[in-house]
Amino acid sequence: MRYSELTRQYFERAPCAGTLAGPDVVSGVAGRRPLGTWVRFDLRIAPAAARGPQILEARFLAFGCPHTIAVAAWVAEQAAGRPASAELPQPVDALRRSFEVPVEKLGRLLVVEDAWRAATAAAAKK
Amino acid sequence: MSPPVYLDHAATTPVDPRVAAAMAECLTADGVFGNPASAGHVHGEAAFERVEAARAAVAAAVGADPQEVVFTSGATEADNLAIFGVAEHARPRGRHVVTARTEHKAVLDPCRELERRGWQVTYLAPDERGRVAPDRLAAALRADTVLVSLMHVNNEIGTVQDVAAFAAVCERHGGAWLHVDAAQSVGKVALDFHASGAALMSLSAHKSHGPKGVGALLLSRRHGVRIEPRQFGGGQERGLRSGTVATHQVVGMAAAFALAVAARPAEAIRLAALRERLWRGLEAHGGALRNGAPEDTVAAILNVSFADVEGESLLAAVAPRISVSTGSACTSASGEPSYVLRALGRDERLAEASLRFGLGRSTSAEDVDEAIAAVGAALSRLRRIGGGCAIAS
Repeated sequence: MRYSELTRQYFERAPCAGTLAGPDVVSGVAGRRPLGTWVRFDLRIAPAAARGPQILEARFLAFGCPHTIAVAAWVAEQAAGRPASAELPQPVDALRRSFEVPVEKLGRLLVVEDAWRAATAAAAKK
Repeated sequence: MSPPVYLDHAATTPVDPRVAAAMAECLTADGVFGNPASAGHVHGEAAFERVEAARAAVAAAVGADPQEVVFTSGATEADNLAIFGVAEHARPRGRHVVTARTEHKAVLDPCRELERRGWQVTYLAPDERGRVAPDRLAAALRADTVLVSLMHVNNEIGTVQDVAAFAAVCERHGGAWLHVDAAQSVGKVALDFHASGAALMSLSAHKSHGPKGVGALLLSRRHGVRIEPRQFGGGQERGLRSGTVATHQVVGMAAAFALAVAARPAEAIRLAALRERLWRGLEAHGGALRNGAPEDTVAAILNVSFADVEGESLLAAVAPRISVSTGSACTSASGEPSYVLRALGRDERLAEASLRFGLGRSTSAEDVDEAIAAVGAALSRLRRIGGGCAIAS
């Protein structure tokens, strides 16, 4: 399969791969390895501000195709300094276009989104 | 950055320069460019002689008679011609075919098409090493079975089947012809059409350092094989495969086969040593499972599944350093993992996360070491990104 330059870059560098630990860290997981895609986000959350919880830093783990890894890495990289809202830094369809993800792989990006939403939901409960 | 090491010789091979030189003699105005079917002038006669010399050389390389060779555009066309050609001819005798789940798509897809046309097809299951048991074949044969199509060397895992045993089963049955897809065989294992007992055999040139776009179907005279043509218009190849024979292609095939057969004994030993070196190196990375048993497989193919990585990412991660094939048949979400590995009992993830290493004439120990290092680096990185197996899924 041919990958876009952006996908290749983020797949190869995989910035923010890893985990976070501490009382100020929340996690969100989606997907299943036996089904081929699994993603986890760890978010370090700043104390609640007027605009709600803020993300200080983010890490990800991903078992999946290069598109899944690249998009998860990009999302984690973009997260720092953003509010911990359920919305991804870019909507799934925009991410699909940016990374030139084949439409039949849309489901894999939805797993990334589900993991993100699970993490931000956990942040909202803190 | 140096180009990736080529380890996909089971997919295709580069044309040997000696083969290319022989082919080049048949292309330009100062060479043998005539139409081999143009009898009555010097140019046509010269091309005809080259084609017939190539036919004789191909036959000699695989233990056949020249009259048994029908040139085609490759093994896929040969498989189609064999299956539909026999089916059409034998229809009055029966409408049942036997094949195996691990066959190449060039056999399975024609069989599925026959099913759509009302035929019945039995798909034999291999054992966990990829071997099809002759007694299973015997049990599958029916009074209305007219064709058995089983491959010689499996293209994904390299398992060598006992063709002679299959032929003996068919011989006892009396009514079923054995067709053997031997696209991977020439230069990898000893191949003798007559000794094999097969009635039909498909060959390919480009797996043996010959050109793409040419192959052959062998039709046994001893078995009195008759098939119906699939292509009309000119009556070439005794009316079984119309179309101008591409002189340069068949000359290339003949030259490649001669070189491959001559080199085979020494190459088999050299490649077996490299394959085991590769396996030992990959095994040391952990979570590596060998597909197929070394004693059953050709020296040129090693297929390995890797635990705790996703197949498409594994291929993408090693691609800058080595060119190999993956068990992931399609990289889309709807793609199925290797049906061959699934037939051997590998689960979906392991079938997908597999790499086929195809060693060849140019493969060196340094290439093998590069492959070991490239796979090791990819596994380490992807397992780290994936959280390893310690994190619940």
